[in-house]
Amino acid sequence: MSESEQSITVDEAYEQDNDKSIKFLRPRFHAEAFPTVQIFGYVGSLVLTFAAYFLVMNHVLPVLALLIIILTLAALQAALQLGVFMHVQEGRGMAWQIIPLYLVFLIAFGMVGMSIWIMLFKSGVS
Amino acid sequence: MSLPSVDEHAQKLPLEFADEHESLKITGFWMFLVTDVLIFASLFSTYAVFHNSVAAGPTADQLFKMGPVLLETLLLLTSSFTIGLGIYAMRKGQVRALMAWTFLTILLGAGFVTTEIHDFVSFAALHATWHTSAFLSAFDILVGTHGAHVTFGIFWAVTLLFQLKKHGITERTARKIYTFSLYWHFLDIVWVFIFTFVYLNGKLG
Repeated sequence: MSESEQSITVDEAYEQDNDKSIKFLRPRFHAEAFPTVQIFGYVGSLVLTFAAYFLVMNHVLPVLALLIIILTLAALQAALQLGVFMHVQEGRGMAWQIIPLYLVFLIAFGMVGMSIWIMLFKSGVS
Repeated sequence: MSLPSVDEHAQKLPLEFADEHESLKITGFWMFLVTDVLIFASLFSTYAVFHNSVAAGPTADQLFKMGPVLLETLLLLTSSFTIGLGIYAMRKGQVRALMAWTFLTILLGAGFVTTEIHDFVSFAALHATWHTSAFLSAFDILVGTHGAHVTFGIFWAVTLLFQLKKHGITERTARKIYTFSLYWHFLDIVWVFIFTFVYLNGKLG
């Protein structure tokens, strides 16, 4: 519909405004004739979710090992959602959102990770 | 040196990024999501500290039933997929398909919220409310904040459907749908961590 107004290309936008030394902020778009990536993302998230569920419900490993594994599976699934569905590498010119995302993941990981870690000592106290 | 020739196969920037000002709003929305990560990180930390402080109330293992939780997970994962397909349709300029996928997303989201409210009411019937223990205070505020986000997202998506009906896919509506999809996928990520760290962790014992 508005195809004609849309004259600027990905490369033109990239050339227009960016610092070419920051390579990892270069946007990447993928266009496909069939939503293969989306189906892969959906099936992947289902597999990761049910893998975590069955690991926990069958108590296949010690508690701490299981907790580490299911949190890793959750982090993988977050990365899948970000990459596949949230198009984290897309942007006009530069994908600037990647820098604050790294920062906030670092803060969140530190805050929650440290809270979990400190509570591991609770059994020795009470 | 001559100007580079126009490549016939050069990839067009998707419509939501085509206007510089609209594109800036997408970057701005990413900044909002970053701050929302901080809110949820604080609530997850609180839950990590208090999840064994059950006072005289039930423990996580006694309280949680995995049936409704699995249903909620399935509904939300599927709704993340359907809005993903909506964006796919939007980039092909298919407004009817986009509206259908958005509508399906709203239905799945409403199913999620309904199941969650039913779950919370069944907890309240067992006198397991946020007054009961530190564990339940942390649980209710974490899961409730997520549920409130989803509820808001449903109303947001309904307004977007009306805008799509009126204006079709323009630079402006495309940007709005795109930011909504970011919001929705973000809530899916938060739910994955709630599913893992609250519900599955509760069953670890």
